[in-house]
Amino acid sequence: MIIEGGGTKKGFGGLVEHADICLSLKDYKGIVEHNPGDMTITLKAGTSYLEVQNYLAGFNQMISLDPFANEHTSIGGVIAANDSGPKRLGYGSARDAVIGMRLVYPDGSLIRAGGKVVKNVAGYDMNKLFIGSMGTLAVISEITLKLRPVANYQSLVLISFPAGNLDVIKQFVVTVLDSLMEPITLELLSPTLAAKLTGRREYTAAIQFEDVESSVHYQTTYLENLKPEGGTFTILQQEDANLFWQAFYDLYPGLNAENKTKSAALKVGLKNMEVLELLEVTERLESGQIHLLAHGGLGHGISQVYLYGESDRILSAIQEIRKLTSAKGGYAIVKHLPFSERLKINIWDESPSYFFLLKQIKAKVDPNNILNEKRYVGGI
Amino acid sequence: MKGKQIQSKDKHIHQLAAIVANTRSILYKKEDLLAYDCDGFTIHKHLPKAVVFPKNTKEVAELVRYCCQNELPFLARGAGTGLSGGAIPLNGEVIISLVKMKNLISVDLENRRAVVEPGFVNLKLTNSISDKGYYYAPDPSSQSCCTIGGNVAENAGGAHCLKYGVTTNHILGLEVVVPTGEIIEIGDNGIPDAPGYDLLGLITGSEGTLGIVTKITVRILKNPEAKQTVLAYFDDVTDGSQAVSAIISAGIIPAALEMMDKTAIEGVEAAAFPVGHPKNIAAVLLIEVDGISAGIEEQINQILSVCRQFNVRDVKVAQDEQERSRWWANRKTGFGAMGAISPDYLVQDGVIPRSKLPEVLERINQISEHSGLRIANIFHAGDGNLHPLILFDAKIPGETEKALEAGSACLQACAEVGGTITGEHGVGIEKREEMRFVFNEEEIAAQTTIRSVFNPVNLLNAGKLFPSPGKCVEIKMEKKAAIL
Amino acid sequence: MTQSAVKSSPACAETSLSNYFAKDHPDEKKWDDCVHCGMCLESCPTYEITGQEQHSPRGRVHLIKSVAEGKIALNESFSDPVFACLDCRACTTACPADVDVGGLIEEARGQIRQAMPLKGWKGNVSKLFLQGLFPHENRLNTVGSLIRFYQKSGLQTTIRKTGMMKVMPKHLVEMEAIMPKVNKPVRKKYKKDQVLKAKGESKAEVAFMTGCIMDVMFSEINEATINVLRRNGNDVTIPEKQTCCGALHVHAGDRETGKKLAKQNIAAFETSEKIILNSAGCGCMMKEYKELFKDDQEWYDRAEAFSAKVEDISKYLYDTGYEIPKSELNTKITYHDACHLAHGQGVREQPRDILLHIPGVEMIHMPNADRCCGSAGIYNITNPEMAGEVLESKMANVPEDVEMISMGNPGCMLQMAMGVKKYGKNQKVVHTVQLLDWAYQKEDQEAKQ
Repeated sequence: MIIEGGGTKKGFGGLVEHADICLSLKDYKGIVEHNPGDMTITLKAGTSYLEVQNYLAGFNQMISLDPFANEHTSIGGVIAANDSGPKRLGYGSARDAVIGMRLVYPDGSLIRAGGKVVKNVAGYDMNKLFIGSMGTLAVISEITLKLRPVANYQSLVLISFPAGNLDVIKQFVVTVLDSLMEPITLELLSPTLAAKLTGRREYTAAIQFEDVESSVHYQTTYLENLKPEGGTFTILQQEDANLFWQAFYDLYPGLNAENKTKSAALKVGLKNMEVLELLEVTERLESGQIHLLAHGGLGHGISQVYLYGESDRILSAIQEIRKLTSAKGGYAIVKHLPFSERLKINIWDESPSYFFLLKQIKAKVDPNNILNEKRYVGGI
Repeated sequence: MKGKQIQSKDKHIHQLAAIVANTRSILYKKEDLLAYDCDGFTIHKHLPKAVVFPKNTKEVAELVRYCCQNELPFLARGAGTGLSGGAIPLNGEVIISLVKMKNLISVDLENRRAVVEPGFVNLKLTNSISDKGYYYAPDPSSQSCCTIGGNVAENAGGAHCLKYGVTTNHILGLEVVVPTGEIIEIGDNGIPDAPGYDLLGLITGSEGTLGIVTKITVRILKNPEAKQTVLAYFDDVTDGSQAVSAIISAGIIPAALEMMDKTAIEGVEAAAFPVGHPKNIAAVLLIEVDGISAGIEEQINQILSVCRQFNVRDVKVAQDEQERSRWWANRKTGFGAMGAISPDYLVQDGVIPRSKLPEVLERINQISEHSGLRIANIFHAGDGNLHPLILFDAKIPGETEKALEAGSACLQACAEVGGTITGEHGVGIEKREEMRFVFNEEEIAAQTTIRSVFNPVNLLNAGKLFPSPGKCVEIKMEKKAAIL
Repeated sequence: MTQSAVKSSPACAETSLSNYFAKDHPDEKKWDDCVHCGMCLESCPTYEITGQEQHSPRGRVHLIKSVAEGKIALNESFSDPVFACLDCRACTTACPADVDVGGLIEEARGQIRQAMPLKGWKGNVSKLFLQGLFPHENRLNTVGSLIRFYQKSGLQTTIRKTGMMKVMPKHLVEMEAIMPKVNKPVRKKYKKDQVLKAKGESKAEVAFMTGCIMDVMFSEINEATINVLRRNGNDVTIPEKQTCCGALHVHAGDRETGKKLAKQNIAAFETSEKIILNSAGCGCMMKEYKELFKDDQEWYDRAEAFSAKVEDISKYLYDTGYEIPKSELNTKITYHDACHLAHGQGVREQPRDILLHIPGVEMIHMPNADRCCGSAGIYNITNPEMAGEVLESKMANVPEDVEMISMGNPGCMLQMAMGVKKYGKNQKVVHTVQLLDWAYQKEDQEAKQ
């Protein structure tokens, strides 16, 4: 059985093309319960992520996640794939936002995990097991999330570093992180990605602030005084910031239907400052045969790399990137790759040393291997 | 003491002592073991077989393997400040005490993380990095004594978790000795989202039933630029509770939003850290906002206006750090302070959706009247985490049972409005049966199935966290025996 | 508390005070308040070192309660943790429910000593110091004179050279090395019951408790105390009948001698309005005399009245006001909180305030200033190993660049001096009141010039 939501993550893992049943949750959608006073919401898994955000905006609330989503993306998919974007620095990720789930186990039983309250230590924190499990343990049918108020004001600061000196960038970032400012993002864009979004082919830091207006202005002013010599300093306020982020998420290859050339996307995990080294590698790999866009969070260590080119070029570039990640003890997961190419590479990178436990969990929960066969780590 | 002979006929004691290689690192005499017959939950007591003090992961793994091979039940213990009995050796366990593993291994400010051994005391981490402007966010009331290893086991919360989250939100990596003796490392280098099921999240809060944590990588945060603390007094509990919801609905996430009711106020004012709360007040809110200095005033003004909207009698903003710390000392020692107005108390830990506060407080009031016992309420109102303190006198025959019943009834009330039975203290021994208020048999089985992956023969901390299927009667008998 | 049968076997399931002796047993009310929360753990130096809960405050309370419940007997294994306690009272400060752990420990020790009188060298040392020496003014004076002779005659150097020290136990050698320079005790110097008039207008009359060791080993501190009191308008008397306060006896479980000494002091100071002392340990004990007389209403009341008059010199000066010296001392110091001043009497700010007001004194904060130094009466003689570890961790907190360490207790001064010697720092160990006195003296000298 293959489980599917909005279908925007078809390129993410999965080594089996055919199954007996494709269980689509596309139409299993809607709000089960939203109590604005409690700031929690329970959704059916197939509910469109963007639709819910729009609905919540009417209450000045939001789900504090920023996945790479379009109108088809379902909340179930976001959670099952544990997707997150630059705002993870300020918001946290799915594991911080999900407080409850309703699951259909492979034997058909209905199991609740967590609950409706924001603090809960009754029993094991079972939610964690299903977040990012790619539907290999159970079908997520409902998700309860805690919400955040939408901030009164937001500004996005873009600072470019024309000289491309990574030490200078690091110095700047360390100063920002060590200051008392509270950025929601501290994302470094590779020159190629910056060229697409800002028109300047220079390393660019995208630093977002969300708070009451006075606080946002105070923080952008602080940054302005800190900006390195020679760089440009741009502030995008309110809706302009939104437009930037929209363009940013839309670049994700999995969502980009117009993209005719072969493409791939990686989710890379490193220690915060090592993001700089990753971006340097992608910049070095850029050539006439392969094009790479990359960005990484210097406050959380998660980066994304998009690769465009012929498949063998893509695969060898991934190997190059994995040289760095394995030397650093990090990982590079292939988030998006056409099916034919997926068979040629280990999508999930090296299995962890404790893989024996993961295998047993799968074996105990789904003994007949019914759900999403071979979609996950180590062939689970 | 070193080099003293082991005076025991039990071969296991000699073998365990050999593993920790120092006769000072094992306790086995009854007089010494007595201090380990319970933790912060004192209604159940049982003597361990021995207490061993390993110095490193290798020794922990060897101890675990030895226990496993010889079918000796065992469990891990930190400072033993847990409130639900998670570290009580119900089955005469070998206690593996981690308090000797108390080093701060490394601090990496650039990447905002620190690596500690499990016996490292929570507050010491903040104390070690505060001169550089950093801190570790989870702050349970026992933070001056409790260990981070224990915090991981219980997924400890604290007054400031409303804004900053509980322990699980701050753990980046763990080294764990699983119950079969293997050492596993989850989240190498503290890098998040490692491929594979989130064992980090699963083990955090598993109350020491899935493994023994031997090294922890935690996230550290920069101190907020500014802090403001407000006290608000209400003549009506309902007004106070509604103010809580309204503050958060207004778009403010306070760092902390605490509430105490009349009985609780009486207790803290009679104890070691009084601050002079008015006597005839129905509820006091302690509200703290932090963040960018430029935005604080706006938030405080918003909070003050919400309070006024709900008929606040009086509001005060702390004038300096001294005043602020006095208010917090008054709140943080609140449980112990009940000793000043009652010989014994039982603390509960239910959580409810914030909007149900007035309703549930009324229910608790009824439970109090029905049982004839006073109930004080001290709670993290912001996230709906209630701590009803049931005041009783164990010397009066029958009162302990009454208190336990009243506690259970409070949890039922929480569960009935869509809440849960524990927000931060854990299930342990105390709330095993109450698990049934929130999970059915199948759901409990789903969890014990996961336990069986890690802990196949259930030698590690057995009898905790879950009601034993079909053994409900036995447990009730046990409970009774403990009381008698 | 209804039953307290003498060592009778406990009735089935009866939680009486079964395994305690009938008289003066630990007070049930004291452990009733303990909810086993564990907030005391990190405050306890012996828990910090051992990591073992029988060596923690709540563990000890639990054990003391267990004897009453008949679970364990008054035996060696019970005695170990109870006597390993430093009686530093840090747990009392940490406890949210104000459990009097120190009081329980002292009562339990009394019981243990009844059940198991000390034998061996510990017994001898204990007997020599507690019964043979401290209560006897003239014997103490003899020892003092001997030390004085020993130091002045050059014998000290001779003995050190001959290597005689090598045959003494290591910790006693270490103690010998830091023996303070001994002057004539004030109780010998001044005539009995003479009123030492205030300099200038007299505003108050105080009685001075000299302390037994203090007067023999640290008479210059007593001298300084008298000077400071007189300078600030106090007529000072030194009641003749006063004796050792008994703290060391009570700490060691010898409550009978403790009571005898307490009675003598209560009587000696009956007519005094205010009793001033400069030794934190004595002060704390004297403020708790009534604990010794729970079974004796008359003495209980007299003890209570007595205790209300007892005051540490620093608190007295701070409360009644004192002249701020005008001369500068120009020194960098740090302050160590004596346990029985900070935890025992809640006196923390007053001595610091006095020191800060001496011109030219720069005070550097000592982390964990209120952590025990390991002296703890004669603990450093009876439990040298543990005391040594406690001292080591204390000394690690002494700021590098200070010239002096100030404090308010003679036991601490001896112990800290040993620490200074052992860990190679050469700070001077001083009493708070000495610094104040020096500043006054300097002022007077400068005025003369």
